[in-house]
Amino acid sequence: MLSTLILILVSGAALIGVLPGLSAARSRQLALVTAGIALLWTVVLASQFDPSMTELQLQESLPWIESLGLTYKLGVDGLSLPLLALNSLLGGIAIWSSDDSIHRPRLYYPLILLINTGVAGAFLAQNLLLFFLFYELELIPLYLLIAIWGGARRGYAATKFLVYTAVSDLSILAGFLGVVWLSGSSSFDYQPLLAQSLPSGQQFLLLGALLVGFGIKIPLVPFHTWLPDAHVEASTPVSALLAGVLLKLGTYGIVRFGLGMFPEAWSVLAPWLAIWAVISVLYGSFNAIAQTDMKKMVAYSSIGHMGYVLLAASAATPLSLLASVIQMVSHGLISATLFLLVGIIYEKSGTRDVTRLRGLLNPERGLPLVGTLMILGVMASAGVPGMVGFISEFLVFLGSFSVFPVQTLLCMVGTGLTAVYFLLLSNRVFFGRLSEQALNLPPVLWSDRAPAIVLAALIVMLGLQPRWIVRWSESTVSTLVPTQAAITQTSSIAIHSKFLNSSSNDRDPSEILNPSPSNIH
Amino acid sequence: MIETPLKSSTHPLATYIDRLKTGDTLLPDTQENLVEVVGILRSYGVVLEGYYQNLLYIAEHQFLVQFPFFKYFNGQVSPGKLLRHLWHDRLNFEYAEYCAKTMLWHGGGGVDTYLDSPEFTHAAQEAIEAKIKHNLPLRGLHRLLPEFLLEQVRQLAYYSALGQFWRVMSESFLTLSEKYDQGKIQSIPEVVEHIKAGLVAAADIPITYSVTLQNQVYEIIPQSAGLTFLPDVAVPYVETIFFRGTPFTGTVSYNAQAHQISPDQSRFQYGALYADPLPIGGSGIPPTLLMQDMRHFLPEYLHQVYRRTPRGENDLEVQICQSFQKSMFCVTTAAIVGLAPHPLDTMDPEQQQANQAYLETWMDRFLNSRLQDVQVC
Repeated sequence: MLSTLILILVSGAALIGVLPGLSAARSRQLALVTAGIALLWTVVLASQFDPSMTELQLQESLPWIESLGLTYKLGVDGLSLPLLALNSLLGGIAIWSSDDSIHRPRLYYPLILLINTGVAGAFLAQNLLLFFLFYELELIPLYLLIAIWGGARRGYAATKFLVYTAVSDLSILAGFLGVVWLSGSSSFDYQPLLAQSLPSGQQFLLLGALLVGFGIKIPLVPFHTWLPDAHVEASTPVSALLAGVLLKLGTYGIVRFGLGMFPEAWSVLAPWLAIWAVISVLYGSFNAIAQTDMKKMVAYSSIGHMGYVLLAASAATPLSLLASVIQMVSHGLISATLFLLVGIIYEKSGTRDVTRLRGLLNPERGLPLVGTLMILGVMASAGVPGMVGFISEFLVFLGSFSVFPVQTLLCMVGTGLTAVYFLLLSNRVFFGRLSEQALNLPPVLWSDRAPAIVLAALIVMLGLQPRWIVRWSESTVSTLVPTQAAITQTSSIAIHSKFLNSSSNDRDPSEILNPSPSNIH
Repeated sequence: MIETPLKSSTHPLATYIDRLKTGDTLLPDTQENLVEVVGILRSYGVVLEGYYQNLLYIAEHQFLVQFPFFKYFNGQVSPGKLLRHLWHDRLNFEYAEYCAKTMLWHGGGGVDTYLDSPEFTHAAQEAIEAKIKHNLPLRGLHRLLPEFLLEQVRQLAYYSALGQFWRVMSESFLTLSEKYDQGKIQSIPEVVEHIKAGLVAAADIPITYSVTLQNQVYEIIPQSAGLTFLPDVAVPYVETIFFRGTPFTGTVSYNAQAHQISPDQSRFQYGALYADPLPIGGSGIPPTLLMQDMRHFLPEYLHQVYRRTPRGENDLEVQICQSFQKSMFCVTTAAIVGLAPHPLDTMDPEQQQANQAYLETWMDRFLNSRLQDVQVC
C-alpha cells in the first residue's frame, strides 16, 4: 500500500515527461490528477492506520542490494503519517498554484512530483540507505526548479542550495555509514540498528554528523544562509513546497535518527541543543524584523519557527515530542499559506517591498481577501489562539518548560518577536491609503485564492479541534522518549548555573532542585 | 467667446476662474465626463427620491417616537417588507440621517438661526407637551433634561428641511437624465445650466415643518419664519456636505493634541469635494452607503463605461464615487455661478472686479480639494 503512493507519484511524473504532444494545460491537469490521486491514497492509508499502535504499520519489505545492506523497506507510524499527509496536500497545492503558462511544463511538473516522491519515500523509508536515496532524490529537482523557473538571482540561489544540501547529504551519509560500520551491522535497516549499542564517544561523533546534516536542512543557525536566498529566488509554488515540506525532512531526520538512534548522546547534548534552538529562534526573529522583502521576512520566520521543533525534540518529554510533530505540521501549513499569499501580492502588484506597498486591504481596489488571509496567517504564526500555531507552540512550551525552563522562556520571546515583525508587515502593507504602486491592481481570481483558502481553513480547523491531528502521533511519540532518565533537571540546571550564576557551582544539586527558603534570593 | 477686459487673476487656480468667467465649468467638458455625470446623477436622483421620502416620513410620523423600530418602513410594515429589510434589500437610509445630523452639527444658515430662536422653542415645546402628554417616562425625561427633547425636535427639523431640499434636487436630476436620453443635454455646461435653472426656480420655495398630533397640527417651522429653499437650506447643505463634512472614522488615527482635526469647524475639509474615493467600501466611511445604493440604479451606458476600466466592475463603488465627485463639481459650479454677485459675463469693470474677488474666495476653498484630480478623464 505504501509503495502505491510512491508509484502514483513516479508514474505521474513519467507520464508527463514521456507522453508525446502534451500541452502546458494538459501537463498541469495530469499533474493535478496525479497529486489528487496521491492525496486520496494518503487518506486511504490514514484510514488503515491504527493510532493506538506504537509500532510501524503497513510495512513492506523487499530485498534490493543485499550486499550493500540496502533493503526496500517501508513503514509508517505516528511520526511520519502526518508529514506524509502534509506532503501529499502541499504537492497538490503547489501544482494548483503554478502558472498556467509556465514554460517547459513537461519538465516542471515531473520535477515537482519527483520532489513529492522523494519526500514521501524519505518519510516512509525504514532503511537508512533507502532514506538517504529518497532524501537525495529531491536535491536535483529542487535545484532545477530554482535554477530554471526562479527569479533574477536564481543561479546563485540554486547553486548555494546545491552546495549546502550536498554537504548535508555527505554529513548524513557519513553518519549512516558510521552507524553501520561501527556497530558491525550488515544491513542499514533502521529497527535492527536501534538495538545496537555504541560507545558514547562514537555516539557523539555520529550524532554530531547527523545534527550537522539535518541542521543544514532544517535549517538551523548558522547553516541557514541558503534558505532566504532560495526562497526569494524560487517561484511561489516551489517556495511553498520548500517551506511546507522539504524543511520537515530535516526535523524528521533529527527526531527519527538523531534522537531515535542515539538517545544517550542526545540526552547529554540536549541542553546544548536547547540553547541552539534558542539561538535559531531569536536570530531568525530578529533578522525577520529587519527585512523589507516580504518573502525574506517569511523565510527568516521559518528559520525561527523550526527552532521550536529542536527545542521540543531536545526536551524529549512525551508532550514535547508530540509538540514537535504538531509544530512541523503547523509550520508546514502556515508557512505554505504565507508564501502563497506573498506570491499573489507579488504577482498583482509587482513588488514584495513593504516600504512600497500600502493599503492592500482596500475593499474595492486592493486585495481584501488576500489581505485577510494574510493577517490570519501571520496571527497563526504568532501563536494566536484559535489556530493550529497556538496549539503547536503552546504544546512545545508546555512540554519543554519542565526540562529547560530558561531556554523555553527565551523561545517564548521569539513568539513575541513573531508578532512584532508580522504586525509591522501587516500594518505597512495592508492598512492605510492604497499606495500609488497599487492603484490599479489586476483582479485576483478565485483559482489564485483557493489554495490559500484551503490551507487557512485547515489552520483554523486544527486550531479549534487539535485532536484531529494529535491523535495520530500520541502513541508513537511515547516510544521515542529516551528510556533512561538521562535528561534531568540537574544536568540542565548545571548548565544554567555555569553560565548564569558561577557562585552556585558548588551547590548540592538536590538543594538546587528543592531549595529551602534560606536559599531563595 | 465672452471677452474679459479685466486682468487675469494671479490665484494658483486662476485657470478655473477664467473658465468660469468664460462660461465654462470646473469639470472639463468631455463626452466621457458627460456620460459619467448624467448617469450618476440619474442614479443619485432615484436614491434621493427614496431618501427624501423617508426623511419626511420620520420627521412627520416618527416625531419623538420612543422606539422607532420601523422608521425606515415609511409606514408600510409587512412580513415581506420586514424580511427584505433584514436581508438588507433596501436603501441605506442611515446615510440620509447622517447628512441631516451633519447639517445639524455644523449649523449655519437660516434654519440654524431659527432653531435657536424663542419662536421655535415655543412652538416645539407645544408639540413636545402634546406628544408626551400620556407618556410618563418621556415626561420624566423632559422634566429632568428639558433640552434633550428640544434638541431631538431640532434634529427632526433638519430631517424635514433636508427632505424638502432633496425632493427638489431629485426631480432636477431625474429631469436632467430624461433630457439627456432625449438628446437635449449634450455638454457639461448644459448640465450645469440645467442644475442652476433648477436651483433658481426653487430658490423661493418656503421651507416649513409641521406635525399632526391627535388631529391637531403643530407648526414647528411656520411659513412666517420666512425660510426658503436656496439661502436657508441649499447653501448650508453645500457648505456642510460638499465642503466641511465629517472626519471618517476607522481609517486614520487622529491625534487630537496635535490638532489633526481643526478645532474650528469652518476649516473642516472632509466634504464631498475633498474626499478621497479610495477608502470607499470600507467600514467607517459613510459615503459607502450612498455608493452602495447608487450602484443599484446605474444606467446601462454607465455600466459600459465602468467595464472598460482595468479592474472592470470589481471596484465599482470607487468608480461610482469618482463619477459622483465629478457631478458634485458640476453642482458646485451651478451654485457658484448662481450665487455670483453679478452675471459672470458682465462688461462693467467694477462688477468684473467684484466677480473676480468672489471667484477667488471660492478658489481659496478649492486649493486642497480634488479639483485637480477630476480634470483627468
